[in-house]
Amino acid sequence: MQDRLLPYWLLIPAFIIVLATTIYPLAYSFITSFRVWDLTKSRRPEGFVGFDNYIYAASESAFLNSLWVTFIFVITSVALTVVLAMALALLLRRKGPMHTFTRIILILPFAMSPALIGVSYRFMFNPEFGVIANGLGAVFPSLQGVPWLADPQLAMGILVLTDVWHWTPYMTFMCLGGLASIPKETEEAARIDGASNLRIIFGIILPQMRGVILVMAVLKTIFALKMFDQVVTLTGGGPGTSTETLAYFIFNVGFRWFDMGYASALAWILTLIMMFISIWYVRMLLSDRKMATA
Amino acid sequence: MKLFTSAIAIAASLYGAQAFAWEATEGRPYEGQTVTVLAVTSSQFAAHEARLAEFEDATGIDVVYDYVPFPNMKEALTTEMVAGGDYDVVSVMDQWVSSLQMLMQPIGPEMEALGVDLSDFPAAHMRHGMVDGELIGLPVRGHVQLLFYRTDLLEAAGVTPPQTWEEMVTAANAIQDSSDASGVALPYGKLNGQNLMVWMNLLWGNGGDLFDADGNAVFNSEAGVAATETYISYLAEEIVPAGSAVFVEQDAVTSFKQGNSAMLPVWWWVRSQLSDPEQSTLTAEQVGFTALPAVSGSDRTTFTNTWVFGVTQESDSKDAATEFLSWLTDPALERDVLLDPELTEVVAVHMSNLTDAEVNERWGGMHQAAADALATADGIEFGDNWPRIVLILETAISSLASGEETDVQAALDKAAEDVAAIR
Repeated sequence: MQDRLLPYWLLIPAFIIVLATTIYPLAYSFITSFRVWDLTKSRRPEGFVGFDNYIYAASESAFLNSLWVTFIFVITSVALTVVLAMALALLLRRKGPMHTFTRIILILPFAMSPALIGVSYRFMFNPEFGVIANGLGAVFPSLQGVPWLADPQLAMGILVLTDVWHWTPYMTFMCLGGLASIPKETEEAARIDGASNLRIIFGIILPQMRGVILVMAVLKTIFALKMFDQVVTLTGGGPGTSTETLAYFIFNVGFRWFDMGYASALAWILTLIMMFISIWYVRMLLSDRKMATA
Repeated sequence: MKLFTSAIAIAASLYGAQAFAWEATEGRPYEGQTVTVLAVTSSQFAAHEARLAEFEDATGIDVVYDYVPFPNMKEALTTEMVAGGDYDVVSVMDQWVSSLQMLMQPIGPEMEALGVDLSDFPAAHMRHGMVDGELIGLPVRGHVQLLFYRTDLLEAAGVTPPQTWEEMVTAANAIQDSSDASGVALPYGKLNGQNLMVWMNLLWGNGGDLFDADGNAVFNSEAGVAATETYISYLAEEIVPAGSAVFVEQDAVTSFKQGNSAMLPVWWWVRSQLSDPEQSTLTAEQVGFTALPAVSGSDRTTFTNTWVFGVTQESDSKDAATEFLSWLTDPALERDVLLDPELTEVVAVHMSNLTDAEVNERWGGMHQAAADALATADGIEFGDNWPRIVLILETAISSLASGEETDVQAALDKAAEDVAAIR
């Protein structure tokens, strides 16, 4: 009897930590999202207002803009990261000293702090002394002095670039793991039958990598939805509101405007979006497994 | 007017020379108590901490400083306001005072009882420690804007330091014709309202303001449009460095320090960086300063920035904290730091020190220029919604600077609508 209960007893400390650091804050913010809490007026949440905070969000142009900016950012950064990671993994899957060295080097961007990446890129794209801005200007004279971060489209492009640069290595390693699990015999058989490299990639490798690519895409989507650090240090949400992502907007509402009720509602909207994506992902994975076992 | 100002300066200087020195409450009533201070990282506050022995010996109160870097300071103060109880004294920037009013308690009567001379603080700094007519914080750190310029580049271009914004444009063009440097470094990017700091002076100089007496937005008035068009026109006239549309204050300062720009309107505390060999390519002789230019035919203006210190509502040692505050705001302490040859600390918030002959001799008259600017500066009424208003306004300026918006009137009208729609 004692042996049967022991695992549960051992789980209690972990459960308490999860309860205190995840479940309680989530529940508290959920309740707060239905209340008024202006931190400049009160230390504690005040009256319940039903769905007012959510209804206000639906009509607020700044929120709708941040939703659109986040959508654009997620689509481009996820697509580019997944494609680049897959391409790099295909290049690096062979064994050899150069491949090993490249793999080690590749992890460096992922080891960097996102805030630091933002600051670094801000410097590198500075038209006066930025190494990238001046390098591009030296190679293409028409680009000399281009204020890269001052243009809304270019600023979004550079924000995507920093994120892709940061995440591609990690995703490449995921792809390498997936590629290692593909039986070599299938590929060898295709080569003997005279299949081209492209045919092997699209006809044999990619279909077998479907599960890994799906996991990558979903993970990257969730991380992209939370994009915050680089926005703060690279663009500040500007120029104008062109790079103001949802996470950055929520931060402003909560910690600059001190409208905690509204910020909680916005945070829950973001959470719900991520929950829907996660549920969809689990369903896709389960349907994949069913197909595989059928 | 200049004679009158000088007369005030001499009188204040004489007053300053015999300024009262702080005295501890008799009998050391708070002996053994500890006062914990949450301060933003600053060499000025570190200088105060280094002089604590005088206070601790006289009162028996132990003082402990905790420093937080500026980017994290508001979060630290917010946490203290909500969770409470860790600190007895806090430093708060003027723009946050209203939204953090739950953090601090009124201290007016206590300061009066301790003999603190409130009339020695400039009005613009003093009002930033008031909420609903009650004093909740005393100025300890305060800034005005000055125009820094490259003496060598202005001389080579044959121009004198500009006294009006129009003269600044002329000087900038002349400098660009005679050197590789950009005329003037200005911030147009979004970060804590930094792109509003110069724009506000153009707004005031054109006779405009942010709000009318009833609190309605009027920055989209004719004066507001003229001020904004002028500010944005510096980009089109290319007298600012490339990429200025996203420059924040630090970018503008860096451009000047790297020798890429010839003029820089910015806070006076930046001066020590501008010729610091570890940070700048410039020598002290290459950096000159003058009061911020005015709009032709208008008075000089300056945006002010104030850090106030207040006693927290949750403090367990309120009386000891108040006693500490009276020591911290003593003009003699500030003067001692200003004249310390080991330090390069220029910040002062007491008129007696700003107009002090010895202080001005050491700092080349910079403090007198600040005193003159402060004499006509009103400061701003920062309400609860100020952080949101700042974001709306800085976004409008940023949009116009980047070309995302091109119609100044429409952009300001939209900003005014957004401000009116704040819940």
